[in-house]
Amino acid sequence: MTRFVLRRVLQSAIVLLGVTLVVFLLLQLVPGDPVRVALGTRFDPQTYEALRSRAGLDQPLPVQYASYLGHALTGDLGVSFRTGQPVSWIVAERLPATLSLAVTAVVFALLVAFPLGIVAAVRSGSAVDHAARVFSQFGVSVPDFWMGIMGIILFAGVLGWLPPSGYVALTEDPGRWASHVALPAVTVGLVTASILTRFIRSSVLEVLSADYVRTAEAKGLRNRVVILRHVLRNALIPVVTVVAVQLASLLGGVIVIEVLFAWPGIGRLTFDAVQARDYPVLQGAVLLVAALFLLVNLLVDILYARLDPRITVK
Amino acid sequence: MSRNKLGVIGAALTLAVGVLSGCTGGEAVDVGDGGGSAGGAGGVLNAAIGGEPDQLDPHKTSAYYSFEVLENVYDTLVEPDADLKMVPALATKWTTSEDQLTWTFTLRDGAKFSDGSPLTSEDVVYSYERIIKQKLNTAYKFATVKSVTGPDPATVVVTLSAPTPNLLANLGGFKGVAIVEKTNVESGKVKTAPVGSGPFKVAGYTSGDSIKLVRNDAYWGDKPKLDGVTFTFVKDPTVALQNLRSGQVQWTDNLPPQQVKSLRDGDDPVVESAPSTDYWYVALNEARKPFDNPEVRRAIGYALDREAITKAAKFGLATVNQTAIPKSSAFFYDYAPYSHDPDKAKQMLDQAGVANLTLDLMVTSEYPETVTAAQVIAAQLKDVGITVKIRTLDFAQWLDEQAKGNFGGFMLGWLGNVDPDEFYYAQHHSGGTFNFHKYANPAVDKLLDQARTETDQGARKQAYEQAAKLIVDDASYLYLYNPDVVQGWSKKVSGYDVRSDRAIRFRSVALGK
Repeated sequence: MTRFVLRRVLQSAIVLLGVTLVVFLLLQLVPGDPVRVALGTRFDPQTYEALRSRAGLDQPLPVQYASYLGHALTGDLGVSFRTGQPVSWIVAERLPATLSLAVTAVVFALLVAFPLGIVAAVRSGSAVDHAARVFSQFGVSVPDFWMGIMGIILFAGVLGWLPPSGYVALTEDPGRWASHVALPAVTVGLVTASILTRFIRSSVLEVLSADYVRTAEAKGLRNRVVILRHVLRNALIPVVTVVAVQLASLLGGVIVIEVLFAWPGIGRLTFDAVQARDYPVLQGAVLLVAALFLLVNLLVDILYARLDPRITVK
Repeated sequence: MSRNKLGVIGAALTLAVGVLSGCTGGEAVDVGDGGGSAGGAGGVLNAAIGGEPDQLDPHKTSAYYSFEVLENVYDTLVEPDADLKMVPALATKWTTSEDQLTWTFTLRDGAKFSDGSPLTSEDVVYSYERIIKQKLNTAYKFATVKSVTGPDPATVVVTLSAPTPNLLANLGGFKGVAIVEKTNVESGKVKTAPVGSGPFKVAGYTSGDSIKLVRNDAYWGDKPKLDGVTFTFVKDPTVALQNLRSGQVQWTDNLPPQQVKSLRDGDDPVVESAPSTDYWYVALNEARKPFDNPEVRRAIGYALDREAITKAAKFGLATVNQTAIPKSSAFFYDYAPYSHDPDKAKQMLDQAGVANLTLDLMVTSEYPETVTAAQVIAAQLKDVGITVKIRTLDFAQWLDEQAKGNFGGFMLGWLGNVDPDEFYYAQHHSGGTFNFHKYANPAVDKLLDQARTETDQGARKQAYEQAAKLIVDDASYLYLYNPDVVQGWSKKVSGYDVRSDRAIRFRSVALGK
């Protein structure tokens, strides 16, 4: 097990190195010049050159990359072109907002998707099943920003129950945090829930038709026991992967939702960084997201072995 | 104009700005119910702006969002009043030498930075030299400044290489030329925790979320009534409006343009607009055929229906103008040779021997009004046989393409201009830094150079009118409209006025219950 973990960590490090190179090169391909954006229409050749050299952009590309990598290895991700603040600091500051949004959204999604997906599969063809299918179709096809705006108009505008946007840290005031996170988390969570409901439904359906389930039923086990002990244990293994992938992608920030709800997370940071061509921040944010993705995947692999004794780590 | 970039965005989505100066001297009505809410008499005003400042160093940012905050934190030697006339701020008076080359400013007695240290001529010299020597964003405003000295703590002497009639506008037009504190700059704190001498000081900055200002008790002017102002960043105008309606914020300039008309008819929130000094235009690439031919450009001028463009792009919240400078300015020049006449346009194109013309029109999603306007323009030009290919880019790419001259035409706006030099020089002088469409007319160059140093106001105005006529006749820019500044605030807010230069001043605002 230890060797397995070590090997995976090493692999992850190599992947991360690849990510830095790919991101760096991709950014060079993206049209647009950070210094021009910084100056806007007030363009002056002298100011332009002065700014470029201050940002180190007048150096050759390999020199820029080597310097970036060298610093990154020591934990220094450079400073933002825009604000001049350390990137590691900026990214760390945004992480709690994204983390709390992603986790809340996934918890909400699980609470909806599990009962709905399981009931839909067990009572396949029933009204609940149809409702579940309509729900998941709705969730994946309606754009999240539209749902967000409708949510704001309904819950913040018409009903006045929740604030329309903004962020309060969980550590600062849990009550106000909850009221602020509710709308964005439900908006994001609905999409995730739709995907999960579908997946859980089909996964459970598949197991229901398996031989060992028929055997269990044939030997007279009660329905509940069959479902809980035999069906779910097997059906949920692939679901773990899907949940993990969903969580990991939400940890990368939900750009549209974060921008809409003025949520100061990684997604909004990425959006602003792209607009300004703030390369160091963009690289830092992508690196963080990649690292989180790898971490979640590693945890899932370990979890697998625990959930299913048939899977062993070699 | 350095505030252009984001400023314009503000305009696009929102239009807005601010106000107040008119009330600076007068008493804003204190609507406070005397009961005193939790935190003291003044209360904290929450303002929603459309985006986050990139940084708060006034000399290094060009983002309008930054200046919305900095307007309340910093001072300049002089500042524009409600009519954009330069009036005393940190300097109480000034004299000009006979040859117009030496300006002597007397600083206000007792002006202090918010940390308590005195603001003297040394700080003014430091600030200006910083901009000039490091070639910071506003260095162009000091093009004719030879030296800045402080013979004594209360006196600043500015020596010029050529008479500069718009020096006051250059030194006080906006907070990009603010007086900064040396220790604050050298510690690097200026980027997130700037120290100024203005009515409020920065008390906290949460990246991605908000900037908190509190009253500066060391402020030299009338003490602000508010305890503080908190700026939050809300990009979506619908969400900003909901925040205003639900009382989470009491002021915003980020309102959905299509709703402004109906909002103005209501009384809570209060929504007001004022004509701005911004202008929006189309420029054609004169380095490309057939746009090097003024007849072709003029023909397009006749093909455009500016009323329809304005209606679509601004929901009518703008004034059609065929020149750059708005009616409200003393430099307004009433000249509108282009009537909407597709037949005439077609005829002119025929005479110029142009057929099957395709125009690559570049617009940017950063300013959605350009995207909307482009569709209307495309339809109008189709009527005269020109095919318009609209290219919508994000702003970074747009600026890149513009710099490379890789466009047939583009639409953009200029924001926050005060002096006519700002309206014309960079854009239309053959050596202008923003002349990316390659317009060159020696007569215009001469007039703009001459007007730059002309100290006789009458002669100066005349020179600009002559230049404007040539620019319009040559269709260097096809001017479209001057947008309104639109802002909304809660009924509880008093003492606030929308300003045509989009400066947001909360110094005499009060918050009732």
